[in-house]
Amino acid sequence: MIITRAPMRISFVGGGTDLEAFYRHSPGRVISAAIDKYAYVTVNRPPLLRHVAARYAIAEAVAHPRELKNDRIREALLHFGIESNVDVVTFSDAPVKTGLGSSSTFSVALMKALLLSQGKKADKGEIAELASHLEINLVKEPIGKQDQYASAFGGINIFQFNPDHSVDVSPVRLDFKQKSNFENHLLLFFTGIARDASSVLTEQKANTDKKLETLKKMADSVYEFRDKLVAQDFEGLGNMLHDGWLLKKTLASKVSNSTIDNLYETGLKAGAWGGKILGAGGGGCVLFMAPVEKKPVIREAMKNAAAAHQLVEFNEIPVRFVQSGAEVLMNNSFNTNFL
Amino acid sequence: MEEYIKKFSDKVIELLRNLPQEEITKAIDIIQATYERDGRIYIFGNGGSLALATHWVSDFNKTVFSHHLDKHARRFQAIRLPTTESELTAWANDVGYEMVFAGPLQNYLQDTDTVIAISCSGTSPNIIKAVEVARENKIPVIGLSGFNGGKLNELADAKILVKTEKGEYEAVESVHATILHMITRYFVDYFDHLAENSS
Repeated sequence: MIITRAPMRISFVGGGTDLEAFYRHSPGRVISAAIDKYAYVTVNRPPLLRHVAARYAIAEAVAHPRELKNDRIREALLHFGIESNVDVVTFSDAPVKTGLGSSSTFSVALMKALLLSQGKKADKGEIAELASHLEINLVKEPIGKQDQYASAFGGINIFQFNPDHSVDVSPVRLDFKQKSNFENHLLLFFTGIARDASSVLTEQKANTDKKLETLKKMADSVYEFRDKLVAQDFEGLGNMLHDGWLLKKTLASKVSNSTIDNLYETGLKAGAWGGKILGAGGGGCVLFMAPVEKKPVIREAMKNAAAAHQLVEFNEIPVRFVQSGAEVLMNNSFNTNFL
Repeated sequence: MEEYIKKFSDKVIELLRNLPQEEITKAIDIIQATYERDGRIYIFGNGGSLALATHWVSDFNKTVFSHHLDKHARRFQAIRLPTTESELTAWANDVGYEMVFAGPLQNYLQDTDTVIAISCSGTSPNIIKAVEVARENKIPVIGLSGFNGGKLNELADAKILVKTEKGEYEAVESVHATILHMITRYFVDYFDHLAENSS
């Protein structure tokens, strides 16, 4: 049996420039941080059970992987040619559609586990590419590659997506004090609105050609964000998040809606410097950069606003950055050829 | 005599002024990631470098947490290879000296682990052999080398090269000791900070 896990992420600026529709014109760039919320995948190859079983929100057991409803598990098993005697079970620290990159995080953990079940080891870049191939080419999601890379690598990084499809990874090196200061100035809330990345991204993809200049500006801003982060200019970072969010809202009509706008305004009024909606938009999580002493007031205001909108699943998500990316928690399969 | 002492210390001071900061930071991030996934760190070298490895393991496993021993359920698992002199001589005598690190490493190695290899020349065959085992298993390698870095510096993920003329063992090992102590101190400060800022 093999157990893997991969971290979710929060992205700060540049989201959307990781779509091929953009980076085939000009390099896309995203700056993001892996956080201590994970997707876990268990793979077992039971020798005496012929079935193909998948357990996630529901349980499936079929005779051949092509009959699976879960598109990622189905396509991944077909990709590796695993057609019988397999159990895939998954756990997650966060609900789906939060904007924390959870579905790509799952894909990363899944590909790492299945690869290992075939006795193969791969480096972080290979795992990120495999997971991207699964989601973009096989499952045909209209998404980019930033989440797969953020999850496979871990840490805080700038990812550059080149027109030739290669990806450059530049880690942002912070010491523990800089990291914990950064954590202390962040506030993350799940709005309780499950967003659907696909519909927003499909519109955004179609708009890409009209929005090239906006997207180029977003891709270029990652360096300024990094420099302000290293200099620990949190107010400046808050302003940058705010500007980025305003730009992002112009990319597709469904990026925001009146409830999201109201929650965001509530945070700013209560004292946050700036923030953004995580993920493609339309719901998910809202992130604020705020003075440490304003955090209790913001929490209270957000709780009240969410209650007024009857968002029963609204919740604060505590965040700590993690350095480790996709990893193996257990691997007790070994070569039995000599037995 | 004064002149002699000054000459040596100037050489070491110059090396300390030009530490490969980016690579040391990379090494610290690798160790941080290893801690998060509860992996182990294997460290080894020949002669004086083996003594450095032994010294570092005792500091790292104990001193890092010594201010708040009760507050950290998870500590570091740094292991010097080989763990016993019996293993060292068994591999050397029965298989060959180039296997004294790679042999024991293969016994222990898991997917979550990390390797720190120390070699002034960066060319010792037994060091390179063990680093190759780590790389085949996609295990991150922190390489501390001197002179021109040799093959170790080529193969390592964190390339901590203390660049000197060939044969400057004493200066290189002194600087390696400083870097290893700095890594220890960083994690002492980090875990103190965590313990003092958590309720």
